[in-house]
Amino acid sequence: MAVLKINGQAMDFADDLPGNLAGLLEHLKVDEATVVAEIDGDIISRSDFVETVLADGQKIELIKLVGGG
Amino acid sequence: MAGELIIADRKFSSRLFIGTGKYASNKIMVSAIDASGTEMVTIALRRVDINNPDDDMLAAVDWNRYQLLPNTSGARNADEAIRLARLAKAATGVEWLKLEVTPDPYYLLPDGVETLKAAEILVKEGFIVLPYINADPVLAKRLEDVGVATVMPLASPIGSNQGLKTKASLEIIIAQSCVPVVVDAGLGTPSQAAEAMETGADAVLVNTAIATAGDPEKMAAAFKKAVEAGREAFLAGTASIKHTADASSPLTGFLRQE
Repeated sequence: MAVLKINGQAMDFADDLPGNLAGLLEHLKVDEATVVAEIDGDIISRSDFVETVLADGQKIELIKLVGGG
Repeated sequence: MAGELIIADRKFSSRLFIGTGKYASNKIMVSAIDASGTEMVTIALRRVDINNPDDDMLAAVDWNRYQLLPNTSGARNADEAIRLARLAKAATGVEWLKLEVTPDPYYLLPDGVETLKAAEILVKEGFIVLPYINADPVLAKRLEDVGVATVMPLASPIGSNQGLKTKASLEIIIAQSCVPVVVDAGLGTPSQAAEAMETGADAVLVNTAIATAGDPEKMAAAFKKAVEAGREAFLAGTASIKHTADASSPLTGFLRQE
């Protein structure tokens, strides 16, 4: 059992913790082309999503651009 | 000075900057941005709703046509603004930044102390910083000293449509500033934008007044004309105000004379 805290919400992964950040976005159906991520306070660029391995207990922020003034 | 505005070595023909919040649809936003003639648009960063990852506004716009200006809206202090700035750069690849620090959600007035603190750090990191500030001439100079690209004093509170409530202070900022002055926030009508430009502002930033108008595309076109007219009037040099009448027609040769 692995738990990730994603955008403030705890998510349980039984035995199916995605191997990397790109896999997590696919699992969540989030288009990775529009997202920037932060894991435990460190910014992860899109180009590093595939190489970024996930681990139990991480705090992940997924952030996107929206309309604003 | 008549033609282009230059910020951080980039030339802008349009002196109207556009915010992308509050539009009823991406389609309406795109048509309004197009009608405004703008070359700079602001955007914000927010968490993805992981339970409902929806479509992306950015897909609707041809971003190669515009200078993106990510903002740090939502930041309540310098640390939060710096974090958002770095995320914005990672998300967009753009180093331009509208720095805003607004601890109080009721009036959304900018915190000058935290803004200055964040600006100093972000300029050193290579960001092109356009800070949103209260119309404080002393703060404007302090920000200039740390290397910001513009100052962006407010006309009145964000989204309030109250117009140019800070005019006297804006005049001082404009008189003293060595960087472009962009009047940001509170401009509710094209005439108010024109007044800001007549006062000598280098540009204005408008969102709510266009996005929530009955016809945003038409209002964007109206703001475009007003900003151009205001700029031309400023360059022309406005006529002086007098306390008594000063006849426009000759005061000689009246027919009543014998």
